[in-house]
Amino acid sequence: MISIQSESFSVEHISNKIRAENKNIGAVVTFVGYVRDFEKNDGKTLSCMELEHYPGMTEKVLEDIEKKALKKWKLSAINIVHRVGKLKPSEPIVCVAVASQHRDNAFEAARFIIDFLKTEAPFWKKEITSNGDYWVEDKDSDYQQKMSWSRTEENS
Amino acid sequence: MKIDILFFASIRELFDKEKISLDVKDDILTPSELLDFLSKNHKGPWLKLLERKTKIRVAVNQNIEDWSFKIQDGDELAFLPPISGG
Repeated sequence: MISIQSESFSVEHISNKIRAENKNIGAVVTFVGYVRDFEKNDGKTLSCMELEHYPGMTEKVLEDIEKKALKKWKLSAINIVHRVGKLKPSEPIVCVAVASQHRDNAFEAARFIIDFLKTEAPFWKKEITSNGDYWVEDKDSDYQQKMSWSRTEENS
Repeated sequence: MKIDILFFASIRELFDKEKISLDVKDDILTPSELLDFLSKNHKGPWLKLLERKTKIRVAVNQNIEDWSFKIQDGDELAFLPPISGG
């Protein structure tokens, strides 16, 4: 299941819902990404983060990532929740919850999904700081993490 | 042919618009040619977009495509700035 929403979410609620709707689940792995409460080297502090996305395309991309994960591992359920709009420091941004009979599949698939989400799903973050507003750039390390999945495939 | 172009994030701010609809000459075949044409003829934000081309990805009808992808009448195009979700 995929949800793009402005309101916050409860990880416990997401996990309980997956377990209520599916039988034979031995493991639920959840990844939650938060807005970091940070102070940069130049002393600027974050007052909030603005998140926007490309409606329609975002859902398509996430569905495609879900399908890839379901093909790669034996999973019982996947739930991706991503927030948009104004978020304050320490608020949750994204939750990836993956359920399976055994933990290995859920752990690996959760990592796979967040690695691909970060590099393929059209979301954009803007930091509103004490020192001005900045669009967050993409990170090479995120792309390297995504690339490591294709190397895994080549070696297997 | 008619092409809709959507703008997001830093590119939306660059154009101060969310969307434009353009009548494009039929000899323009790809997003790359379209950007070349618009930056040459309309300059302004299009020139700035061209300068950032290596950092931008193109989506046609909500799928990521190459700059050399063939565009058609009625397509929805978006020039996507570097994404940063999660």
